[in-house]
Amino acid sequence: MAKILELVNFHYYYGNIHSVKGIDLHVDEGEMVTLIGANGAGKTTTLQSVSGLTKRRGIEGKIIFQGKEIQSFNGNKVASLGIAQALEGRHIFSKLSVEENLIMGAYKRKNSVEIKKDMDKVYERFPRLLERREQMGGTLSGGEQQMLAIGRALISLPTLMLLDEPSLGLAPLIVKEIFIAVKEINREGTTILFVEQNSKIALSTANRGYVMQTGEIVMTDTCENLMANAEIKKAYLGV
Amino acid sequence: MFSYLLVNGMIIGGIYGLIALGYSLIYRASGLMSFVQGDIITFGAYMGLTFYKVLGLSIYASLFLTFACAFALGIVLEKGVIRVLLNKNVMPIYIVLATIAISFIIQNAPQAYYGTVTQRFPQVFSKSSITVFGVTNQTEAYACFVVSVVLMFALHIFMTKTKFGTAMRAAAMDPLAAEACGINTSLSTGVTWGLSAGIASVAGMLLGPMYGVYTMLGATLGRKGFAGAVIGGYGNMYGAMLGGMILGLVETFTAGYWSGTYKNFIAYAILLLFLFIKPTGIFNEQAIQDV
Repeated sequence: MAKILELVNFHYYYGNIHSVKGIDLHVDEGEMVTLIGANGAGKTTTLQSVSGLTKRRGIEGKIIFQGKEIQSFNGNKVASLGIAQALEGRHIFSKLSVEENLIMGAYKRKNSVEIKKDMDKVYERFPRLLERREQMGGTLSGGEQQMLAIGRALISLPTLMLLDEPSLGLAPLIVKEIFIAVKEINREGTTILFVEQNSKIALSTANRGYVMQTGEIVMTDTCENLMANAEIKKAYLGV
Repeated sequence: MFSYLLVNGMIIGGIYGLIALGYSLIYRASGLMSFVQGDIITFGAYMGLTFYKVLGLSIYASLFLTFACAFALGIVLEKGVIRVLLNKNVMPIYIVLATIAISFIIQNAPQAYYGTVTQRFPQVFSKSSITVFGVTNQTEAYACFVVSVVLMFALHIFMTKTKFGTAMRAAAMDPLAAEACGINTSLSTGVTWGLSAGIASVAGMLLGPMYGVYTMLGATLGRKGFAGAVIGGYGNMYGAMLGGMILGLVETFTAGYWSGTYKNFIAYAILLLFLFIKPTGIFNEQAIQDV
């Protein structure tokens, strides 16, 4: 399988703070990969760096997307290459309606007929958004906002979708619902890389996983093997 | 008397609303209070004078060119000063101070050519006065009202019904998410500053025929616009328009029924009152952050 995304010896510095310390990571086409680890391990920094959302001068090493080095690109340029991210904390446009939020997700697309069709698909996937389409984003519940964040990323028709902590602050039932949708999106052909603190659900959803600890990748394997690993069990799964 | 005051209050209120709009747009886009706004009114008045009187262009061409020049000035300000300071991660108060410095530069620059004497803006319409609802006024005053209303309406349509306008609002709400959606937030912020400056310059040019053109023109009006923006809810577009309108009416009625001496006193007393009782303004805008 062809590598769609590859990080080669990737470092990130916030000024003097060396927050990601030379990681290598790749995602193959069609795969669903997860990056797990504790708070402050550098997961979000890594994901946001891929999306061009961190300050470019903090980056060292290479970020390669579809054979092209993108570590110097800024956010809107990365987005136009076909990478979409549902951000940690959801970042819904609070004073735009649900529908306007989705329109913003499709900002780089031109064909309004096609956009409309894909919007209907998002509503089909998350019927609750349809009920609230005229409502302001800020009035939605956490779970609905997460659905909207995923819908907003999805509607740009990304080849690679990045999800940052999709389970954050949500009730277990909603988390389940969201991960079912994420799995479906992957099955329909979108490659997914996601960051998750809830290791249990992460490892049972993804194909492959990376374990990150204080800026370094300490382990990588298929999710099955990771789940069977004694250390992982103890440190991340609490079994 | 009443209808006369009402009409004139609305005319001046419309202008205040336009100026207030500029403050609010900038606050929304950058989270900053820009002191340059008032002096761009002056800039607009002088540009209008230059195009219309000195170069002899038509009023429409002059209006358009004034807007265009101010729009460019706004973008240059954002990209050349504000963005540079923001990238240095300085405290917002320093950026506000920088806008004060620029404000004085813009205020005083026209003196190099026009000197300190108040310039007369030539009459625009051949009919010097018209009567609306029994109130006779300078034709330019009514034109001023019409242009303010049209501009506000156009801006409302642009910001809510077009994709780029919506993207500008989105970028102002959440730059990170906007960038992730593929919106060029640097461009949209620049355009917001450009629009704010453009609107202020048009206000300045509209006022020229009524007030004359002088360097301090914008300083006073800028403060009024700012007060209007606060009353309406700082950062809220519609609040700005309404707040400006209220201020214009209050001021005119105070001058009419009481005394012109007290009109500013009352206007700013209302501003203080709002700051004490309802700092979020009529539109309940949670604006107060770090500046």
